Amino acid sequence: MDLYLAATNDSPEVDFKFSKHSLSMKGEAFPEDASKFYYPIVVALDQYLKSTDKQEINFDFNLTYFNSASTKMLFTIFQLLNQSASTHNRVIVNWHFDEEDDTIKEFGQEVAEDFPMLELFLIETSQA
Amino acid sequence: MEIDLFSTFHSEAEKKGVMFYYSGAFSQSVITTISDILKNRFDGHDFQSFNSRKVFSSFIEMVQNAMHYSPEAPEAGGEKIGAIAVGKSESGAFLLCANLIDKNYVERISKKLEAVNNMTIEEVKAAYKIQLRNENHHEEDDISKGAGLGLLTMARDSKSKIEYRFENVVGYEDRYAEIHLKTQF
Repeated sequence: MDLYLAATNDSPEVDFKFSKHSLSMKGEAFPEDASKFYYPIVVALDQYLKSTDKQEINFDFNLTYFNSASTKMLFTIFQLLNQSASTHNRVIVNWHFDEEDDTIKEFGQEVAEDFPMLELFLIETSQA
Repeated sequence: MEIDLFSTFHSEAEKKGVMFYYSGAFSQSVITTISDILKNRFDGHDFQSFNSRKVFSSFIEMVQNAMHYSPEAPEAGGEKIGAIAVGKSESGAFLLCANLIDKNYVERISKKLEAVNNMTIEEVKAAYKIQLRNENHHEEDDISKGAGLGLLTMARDSKSKIEYRFENVVGYEDRYAEIHLKTQF
């Protein structure tokens, strides 16, 4: 089943179209209770990955801000994707970041280093 | 407050570059409201001299920390209370945050702040990387409610050491203290 969460004041849009192997997160993430917000996302992703084989999964990562608690949970999400990429599926991550945002760029570089099975592309966007 | 005192308060705040000041309940809805105000203030001016993303990041970490750890204020009907100030300085910007803490935690928090303040920026980033990958944080630290990354994030974002002081809370000297934090950008 697909997972869709609309953006709120403090949480991003989460659009995991598992049926199309297309995942996207967009917006800002600083929910009051990070565990509560991410738990259903992690569970749904884990179930999807366990039942998916030999697919190309595309993840558009387009968060413009995430707090420290979110950072930890995002790391878990990439860990799951990396496991899947090293055994069952091909995982492509398009990591969007603003040209002036070193923090998000550096975090993308770290994710790429730590999870080498992900095909991660850093995509710089400039402010309009 | 008398009207002449308000004039003093207002002009002193202006002189010190204060762009925004809030005192009262800390809640998630207050955080999102202040976030919107700060973003508008940052957008509407020429803020090339500092990185507004880092101010915003530090603001979120400070206030969410306060929300997670502050005891309920004794005379505020169970609310978490505090104060926040954001302003411009000659070299960039500053952020100040005050909130109530349990007196028992003064030593614990001082130690954590001292440890972070004794690190170079490279050491802060290295400690952050280690903590991000630490899956035993909650076993190692049963007081912490988060990922153990909040102070490291503040230290990473601030161009100065994290300044801090503890103030007495009149009438509750034995139970509570107020912590004041300052970071710069």
